[in-house]
Amino acid sequence: MKKSFVFSGSGGQGIMSAGMMLAHAAIDTEKHATFLPEYGPEQRGGSAKCTVIVSDGEIVSPLTKKCDNFVAMNEQAYNKFKDDVKEGGVMVLNSSRVTSAVERTDVKVISVPVDDIALEVGNIKVANIVIIGALIGATEIVSKDVFVASLEAKFREKKPEILAMNLKALEKGIEFGKQAK
Amino acid sequence: MEKRFMKGCEAIAEAAVRGGCRFFAGYPITPQNEIPEYLSWRLPEVGGSFVQGESEVASINMVYGAAATGTRSMTSSSGPGISLKAEGISYLASAQLPAVIVNISRGGPGLGSIQPAQSDYLQATKALGHGGFRTMVFAPATLQEAVDLTYNAWDYAERDRNPVLILMDGCLGAIMEEVELPPMKELDYTVTEDWDLSKRNGREDSHMITPILPEMALEMLNKFKGMTYNMWGMMDVKVEEYLLEDAEYVVVAYGIAARVAKEAINTLREEGYKVGMIRPITLYPFPKASLDNLDYGKVKGIIDIEMTIPAQMRDDIELQVKGRCPVHEYGRSGGMLLDDEGVYNAISEIVKGGE
Repeated sequence: MKKSFVFSGSGGQGIMSAGMMLAHAAIDTEKHATFLPEYGPEQRGGSAKCTVIVSDGEIVSPLTKKCDNFVAMNEQAYNKFKDDVKEGGVMVLNSSRVTSAVERTDVKVISVPVDDIALEVGNIKVANIVIIGALIGATEIVSKDVFVASLEAKFREKKPEILAMNLKALEKGIEFGKQAK
Repeated sequence: MEKRFMKGCEAIAEAAVRGGCRFFAGYPITPQNEIPEYLSWRLPEVGGSFVQGESEVASINMVYGAAATGTRSMTSSSGPGISLKAEGISYLASAQLPAVIVNISRGGPGLGSIQPAQSDYLQATKALGHGGFRTMVFAPATLQEAVDLTYNAWDYAERDRNPVLILMDGCLGAIMEEVELPPMKELDYTVTEDWDLSKRNGREDSHMITPILPEMALEMLNKFKGMTYNMWGMMDVKVEEYLLEDAEYVVVAYGIAARVAKEAINTLREEGYKVGMIRPITLYPFPKASLDNLDYGKVKGIIDIEMTIPAQMRDDIELQVKGRCPVHEYGRSGGMLLDDEGVYNAISEIVKGGE
């Protein structure tokens, strides 16, 4: 099985780290993964996109035109890449920022008010964890336990509140993802 | 072996350290900044030196100086920066000094774009500087291959006393995938004994600043270099031949383009089309025999796929095909990436159109 994921949004929204965390979690479950970042010269605010491919076998081409799972964290990213999702694919949209009506009827759409949830949980910075949660809830590409373990490893040296906040964000995201399933 | 999930540039940098690199000088340019960034903390850990030079010209000349002491030295850049280093690379070749140069290439010409491209093939293989010298050019397609080629690059550079170039596009420089890292190389310092400045060994005249040579001496040097290049062609060609036995169409592609093409070939095979691939791993020496020895009674066409427009490898391909079948090309350029759909459609149109 081979699945491709595109995370898109703007610089500062945690697009790259979301993709990287997913790739790491996949590797932790003995799958193969590639992570390809694409961004412009800007550090903040510019377009940010990354492609993650997760596969049971060797990954031949890391470049793909159309993805199985698509995440848009803002309106611009949604408009730019909405047609590059495979038929039958999954779109996870940050409904706090993506406001246009979805025209495609051949994909499964999961709308999650990511920014609102992140702020409710405690910090806008966990927005990307909410969205990964939604993906895990909807697609089960990696198990929740594996992702929790990789979050624990990632935040081992930070204050325990930070890990707790991230876990809460993940949980909320998963709930949304499951509902949409 | 140690397994890690690494970014292309960082994998090259770590492989360089493990392959014996102890000096790096460079100047920032996207998309290769992760190489100097990584080496800036990694080299001091192993007793090496890292210098961010004031320019590309200064950096390549520092590499020249360090190489002259027998230290395994390296610089990296992207197209525009490699152009600036061109003079220094030619001087290294002239002084017969080993070094490894990495080009993580981006869209050109000129300042071009900071996005990935394979637009430096001609520069890499034909004229990395003035004066008609050559270097071996390694073009990895996976990060594992990048690690393995970088790890061993100095062995070639020291054997030939000549710079080695690693050419990889910005895509592979930025991508993360799993790599197995080889152990730290035990260095044999006797290899450089008879020329390196730090071991003078009683030599009276020990300097590495190339003078204006007497014409006859310069001709001798060039004849010797010519013999070295011929030896590469006989001994050092690296190539992957994929599903060629029954192939009616043969894709020629290197680096990232070859990976995208391979995926398309696999799909076409499933559909029953006989497509194969020749993937040069050394762009110089070019795998001439792989192309020359194809069964042209069977092969109906060659398809050159590169992430540059127009295709640059095409001349080298045509010199071996010698008109025995048509040569087609497909590419993207300027930082626009190849993708599975575009490459599949391009190959498919030629293959299915030929029926």
